[in-house]
Amino acid sequence: MGALGNGTRGLAGGTDLVPLLRDGLVAADRLVDLRRVIPSGIDGTAIGAGTTLAELEADPQIPDALREACRLAASPQLRNMGTIGGNLLQATRCWYWRLNYPCRLHGGDVCHAREGQHREHAIFANDYCASAHPSDVAAALLALDATVETTRAAGPLAGLYRLPDDHDRNLVDLGADELITRIHYERPEQSVYLKAMDRKRWAFALVGVAAARYDDGVRLGLAGVAPIPWRLASLDDLEQATPLPGTAYKLELARALGRRAIAAVGG
Amino acid sequence: MLHAAVVRSPHAHARVRALDLSRAREAPGVRAVLAPGDCDALDETAEFEGRAVVAVAAETFGQARAAAELVEVEWEELEPLLDPEEAVRRGSLVGEPRRYERGGYERGLAEADAVVEAEYRTQTLNHNPLETHQCVCEWRGDGLDVYISTQYIWGVRDDVAAAFGLPPDKVRVICEYMGGGFGAKNGAGGYVTLAAELARRSGRPVRLALTRREENVGGGNRNATIQRVTAAAKADGTLTALGGEFICSLGWGGWLASTAGPMQLLHACENVRTVEYGAKLNLPAMAAFRAPGFVEGTWALECLLDKLAAELGLDPLELRRRNYANVDTMDGRPYSAKELLECYRRAEPHWERRHEVRARSDATWKRGVGLASQIWYGGGGPPSYAWVRVGSDGRANVVTAMQDIGTGTRTAMAQIAAEELGIRLERVQVQVGDSSRGPFASISGGSSTLPSMGPAVRAAAADAARQILEIAEQRFEREDGTLSLRGGEIVSPDGTTWPLEEITGLLEDGQILGKGARGPNPAGMRVLTFGVQVAEVAVDVETGEVVVERIYAVHDVGRVINPLGARSQIEGGIIQAMGHTFSEARLDDPHRGTVLTKTLDAYKLPTIADVPEIVCELIDKPDAQLTNLGSKGLGEPPIIPTAAAIANAIRDATGADVTSLPITREEILAALREARERERVGAPSA
Amino acid sequence: MRLTVNGEQHELEAPFGRSLAEALRDDLGLTGTKVSCGEGHCGACTVLVDGAPHLSCITLVHTVDDRAVTTIEGLRDHPLVDAFVRCDALQCGFCTPGQIVSASALVEANPSPSSDEIRHAMAGNLCRCGTYPRIEEAIRTWRD
Repeated sequence: MGALGNGTRGLAGGTDLVPLLRDGLVAADRLVDLRRVIPSGIDGTAIGAGTTLAELEADPQIPDALREACRLAASPQLRNMGTIGGNLLQATRCWYWRLNYPCRLHGGDVCHAREGQHREHAIFANDYCASAHPSDVAAALLALDATVETTRAAGPLAGLYRLPDDHDRNLVDLGADELITRIHYERPEQSVYLKAMDRKRWAFALVGVAAARYDDGVRLGLAGVAPIPWRLASLDDLEQATPLPGTAYKLELARALGRRAIAAVGG
Repeated sequence: MLHAAVVRSPHAHARVRALDLSRAREAPGVRAVLAPGDCDALDETAEFEGRAVVAVAAETFGQARAAAELVEVEWEELEPLLDPEEAVRRGSLVGEPRRYERGGYERGLAEADAVVEAEYRTQTLNHNPLETHQCVCEWRGDGLDVYISTQYIWGVRDDVAAAFGLPPDKVRVICEYMGGGFGAKNGAGGYVTLAAELARRSGRPVRLALTRREENVGGGNRNATIQRVTAAAKADGTLTALGGEFICSLGWGGWLASTAGPMQLLHACENVRTVEYGAKLNLPAMAAFRAPGFVEGTWALECLLDKLAAELGLDPLELRRRNYANVDTMDGRPYSAKELLECYRRAEPHWERRHEVRARSDATWKRGVGLASQIWYGGGGPPSYAWVRVGSDGRANVVTAMQDIGTGTRTAMAQIAAEELGIRLERVQVQVGDSSRGPFASISGGSSTLPSMGPAVRAAAADAARQILEIAEQRFEREDGTLSLRGGEIVSPDGTTWPLEEITGLLEDGQILGKGARGPNPAGMRVLTFGVQVAEVAVDVETGEVVVERIYAVHDVGRVINPLGARSQIEGGIIQAMGHTFSEARLDDPHRGTVLTKTLDAYKLPTIADVPEIVCELIDKPDAQLTNLGSKGLGEPPIIPTAAAIANAIRDATGADVTSLPITREEILAALREARERERVGAPSA
Repeated sequence: MRLTVNGEQHELEAPFGRSLAEALRDDLGLTGTKVSCGEGHCGACTVLVDGAPHLSCITLVHTVDDRAVTTIEGLRDHPLVDAFVRCDALQCGFCTPGQIVSASALVEANPSPSSDEIRHAMAGNLCRCGTYPRIEEAIRTWRD
């Protein structure tokens, strides 16, 4: 979870990093076990980056959107192992990227998914790279107006992510030796996370929609719709989507889940 | 023991331009390297992704893998042929097109009051047994021992012997337990040849295990199909014509399973015309997968029949009853036994639930019920042999060189021997899984294990029992044929009993050896299995989520030996069908022909959370014409009708016609949209 | 490094990147733990780490040197083993060790789990033979 510079990588749950290292998609000549270094545990609205998804799933203080996002994420074993910090930094499930096709995210000049198989891919910001961000947790935290505290700075969660371009193929804006330490969220009046997937459990989101209601209105965060976790000001913004032929259904899903999520939080 | 790794083509169609093995040969731990020319299982031309080019054996798997990565291959990429319809147009076929016709198809269409046509598609599916294909090969002198995960140890013996020019019995094949096959492990396959050759050259035992990713490319698959089908009937529901064109995307090899089989066999219809094409494509070859052909064909046929029922305004169950076949539809032979009508009768109360199920619909969740029937082989046949050994302690040992692939074969064979010998189950042991330690036994495929092996075991146990009783009759001075074995005792008609051990105990180190062979199937009769499934579903019409709430399954497979194991086979088949219906699909890059769903996050097998309530019933009536056992196989029947029953339930619930598997969110949302459109257009006239 | 498995301490030398599954199977000979996908997707390799189900194929052995590992060999006498046999909760049996390990953590925390709780806790253990209804029954009736 995160780079430490000089070929050293920090390892927390390892659920994403270990397979990526083995597949040669990430390189490291040294791993540092972060679990004794980064904070874990829940303190009010602050969550240590080393807290596992299983711990969050079980804690009744955690807002429904985040609890449900954790509950529906991955598999029980992966939730026991995976940390919230690592979850925010997980790589895309795009099969072309995972199988090391020379795609744009790997420094190439083509997005294979756009012309190929892309039913699990993005409907927003998918022109350069059509990969979809898989984090249920990030969608929930976007709706919960979360800020991320790192070893260097603190800022809104949305600022952790960036869309790739020719100059920088990274999807995460984090320094080489920078680590996420804590996540802070705003306690909502009500919140919810709804997820459409191919199985009832243990599948990445086709579309995940988090909604949280605050004094000033409902905030929405989406998973599985863009290369990075996606924030919507309102459902009207879905009209800005640019689905590919194989992802048009995701727009329909996002509308239906969005309407339901807003209704569920009384928005 | 050495471990092997294989360098495979990353391209669907390519030629090796240059190959440099020098770095691989010098890599740490490497003991043998094979290149094209060294072994038939390696080739410089790849007609599908995953074609083996080089194989390496090293001290550890890590070293083998690392050495494989040092093999430098320069590929010349060639244009792959990936479109099955294009393949048919170009005549790129595996085998000849298979044509079948009975009666007068055109006449049947002309006589009909209603004709329905549709195109159904099925996806490529991977077996994905949790244990991948794997073996350990070890040469002992001029003989070869193969430890392997297989469904057919004798098939492996013959394949490997042929590959190395050995007398078959120089190859010993051992499979004590294995981690699932589902048809993918019916033969040896090139990987065994590679392991054996690496073992020969290195003089060491070699283990070759496919990785999960290799398994998902080259482990075999259920081929995709395109089925253009037609059904025609009179107003009363009598079928007048059934027809179909079936294009099967076999990949670069395999064989053409009978996708038209259900159309030819399931319902009575005088006029049937089918043509099946096996499209030869630059994709990995298909392999048998649990009722190959019939799973795909039944999906189309039974969906089409419901469409026809709707067109005629007939009850779908009634439509099937009205076209009940009393003799074989292809050649008029009588069935050895057929209890499909009884299956329909028992399904009736479950089918009746549809009114109550539908009534539980609301604005979002629409509920409905659908059914589909099933036909399949499963009668087994000769040759198959078994020995039963009874020792002085009165315990029996069943010895036969079959394999238990997880279906409970050991238990069933023990039950059969125990019943015949009149002893308790715990007193029977079963030894299987070693070609050099038992007689020839059948493949565990085609639902044939129990109906092939069970009668052989029963005959062997009967032979042993006869010998025991002969001794007893002499010793106790009774007339020939008057004594019998029951409850661990020798029983006389006059009520006298002697413990079995009183006779077997005389043997000391001697043994009673019974031999049994599987006899032929009844002459002039058709031996088939039958069943019906009824599915209840709830469909969220806004998100396309489908929840299968309940599946009722009733099957007729003759006598049931182990009710617990039989239920597990039904449930297992239905759950695998759930994966086929909703979440599983091998996805290939449409331009490159490379497999994208190589991992189990992308290729989605069902989880425990996807399972509906499953209610199983078995007719359990022995097939009086079939062997000394009256049992047929149950491995395959339950997977056959599930997808169609679910799709018919979805139509019942929503009016949406799903025509492609898997029924993903996009498939069902599109079908719902079309249904709404039809309703809107059709509304004024309704 | 030191590895505590089923209450016993072992000393072993493990190269960088060695997985817990490899250490268990190849170094300690505890082959009850199965590797089926090798990349964290199927659950066959599940073991308990400090009582919680973990995927040993993607756990680096060096990260568990101070923690307690329980494998299927350590659960030999667990009533779940008999329950699985009684309910016919296995066909080929390849996923079974992982299933029982996951189930043992579930019933430890919740001795009478509901059907929904079983399905939630067991969703990371794939069974290709489709024994799920039997597994559910075995877990529901594990103390019978």
